[in-house]
Amino acid sequence: MASYISATNVNLTFAPKNRAPVNALNDFNVDVAEGEFVSIVGPSGCGKSTFLNVLLGLIPPNSGEMAIHGKKIAGPGQDRAMVFQEFGLLPWRTVVDNIGLGLELRGVGAAERKSVAQKFIKMVGLVGFESHYPHELSGGMKQRVGLARALATDPQVLLMDEPFAALDAQTRDLMQAELLRIWHEAKKTVLFVTHQIEEAVYLSDRVIVMTKRPGRSKRIIDINLPRPRDYEMRVSQEFNELKLEVWNELKDELNQRGDD
Amino acid sequence: MARIGVRGSAGGLQNEGLKELVYEHRKALLGCLSVTVFFVFWETFYEFVELNEMFMTKPSLIATGLMALIEDGQLINDIGVSAAPFFIGFLSAAIVGVVLGVVMGWRTRVGYALEPLMTALYASPLVAIAPLVIIFFGVGVSGKSILIFVLCVFPFMFNAYAGVTSVDALLVSVVRSLGGKEKDLYLKVIVPSVLPYLVAGARYAVGRALVGVIVGEFFAATAGIGYRIAWFSDMFEMSRMFVCILTMMVIAVVFTEGIRWAERSAFPWRDGE
Repeated sequence: MASYISATNVNLTFAPKNRAPVNALNDFNVDVAEGEFVSIVGPSGCGKSTFLNVLLGLIPPNSGEMAIHGKKIAGPGQDRAMVFQEFGLLPWRTVVDNIGLGLELRGVGAAERKSVAQKFIKMVGLVGFESHYPHELSGGMKQRVGLARALATDPQVLLMDEPFAALDAQTRDLMQAELLRIWHEAKKTVLFVTHQIEEAVYLSDRVIVMTKRPGRSKRIIDINLPRPRDYEMRVSQEFNELKLEVWNELKDELNQRGDD
Repeated sequence: MARIGVRGSAGGLQNEGLKELVYEHRKALLGCLSVTVFFVFWETFYEFVELNEMFMTKPSLIATGLMALIEDGQLINDIGVSAAPFFIGFLSAAIVGVVLGVVMGWRTRVGYALEPLMTALYASPLVAIAPLVIIFFGVGVSGKSILIFVLCVFPFMFNAYAGVTSVDALLVSVVRSLGGKEKDLYLKVIVPSVLPYLVAGARYAVGRALVGVIVGEFFAATAGIGYRIAWFSDMFEMSRMFVCILTMMVIAVVFTEGIRWAERSAFPWRDGE
């Protein structure tokens, strides 16, 4: 399998002033094929979100090699875009202007920004909300904007940092199905971080289980469920066996007291 | 609407329409009502109680006074005299306050160093130093401007400070991850985050600036609306004194409501405003 996203022996230690350094990532390795949907699950604070920020180019690692389609990562790049857990929408911008932000930062003209934004507004199902401000939208709609904003820059890789964790359970189910539909339509390579086992199994081709901090990749589990996937699949025996498999890997990593 | 149809009569319809109109504007109407009741009560009170014009006045006399002061151009002239130090002090306070506040917000150590001192100054009744400012800088525009500056600089400074420290780190990450440069962070994240704080600061500052105008002119001046209040008071010209006081009141309301309106139309994305 040719690797499209590759991260090799990524190490990262935070060294806050006057405090003990925190070893966040320890020889972390990931390989994702083109068009693949891969999830990373791990205990809270294991460094999985940090890894996405490293891959995004916002945090430089202490050591390690990272590349997308053979191109080394050194800082933010047009080949990647992130969907953030807390949406990160600019509150003073309407839906259409939030979605056009990435293109605007690249110097794309207003007319083209608008037509591209319109295309993705349609894709994420927000037609009629173009001129709404974020505070007028529900959580699920905000994340649709977040997704559209990331897609509008036409990245090859979509990084998703617990994108549905801030949503209520029903909205989350709905958004997962929407994401699968959009993923089919937009044909992106997705690296998806979550702490929810069911979500990871439902969405992914493969699930990477991380150890507790310092985060290493513990095991990679193939999810050989047919696609397109539907909600009924979640109650199948196969699905539940895969959930159990992931859980068995994960449970030893969890803090027994249940805190972080 | 169906309910009205059943009732049918034109009179009923009109009545319903009026009721709806009243209900729609009930906030403004009730607000006006209390003002009207206040003045009507004041006026009728002196229908029953003898008015000593040396010490008190009533709305009808104030109205007459207002006409006289407008006619001889004195009121306009006084407003003009007071306006210069008001704007000079207010605008220079805005510039200096915003710069100081932004530096305090960005440079943590500057913030730590200046915050206690500035808080103490902001909390203290700075009009108390008015006589000192007048002695140092004279009775002209400069003395009054400086007094107004001293009163206004703190709301601008603290609001700029709060605005800068409130910038959402996530939004900075978003813009950087999409290829934004330093310039984009300023223009697309920091300035829009701070602006609403500055406008709110301006609203507080207007009130303080008007206090500065009056107090400055109480101490030493030869014209101006504050000077005129003191002068009419010394002359026992209660009606004309109240004309000046009410004029200040109207100006204060126009400014603060104007800024509030500008806030609403400039920042439609602000929650619940």
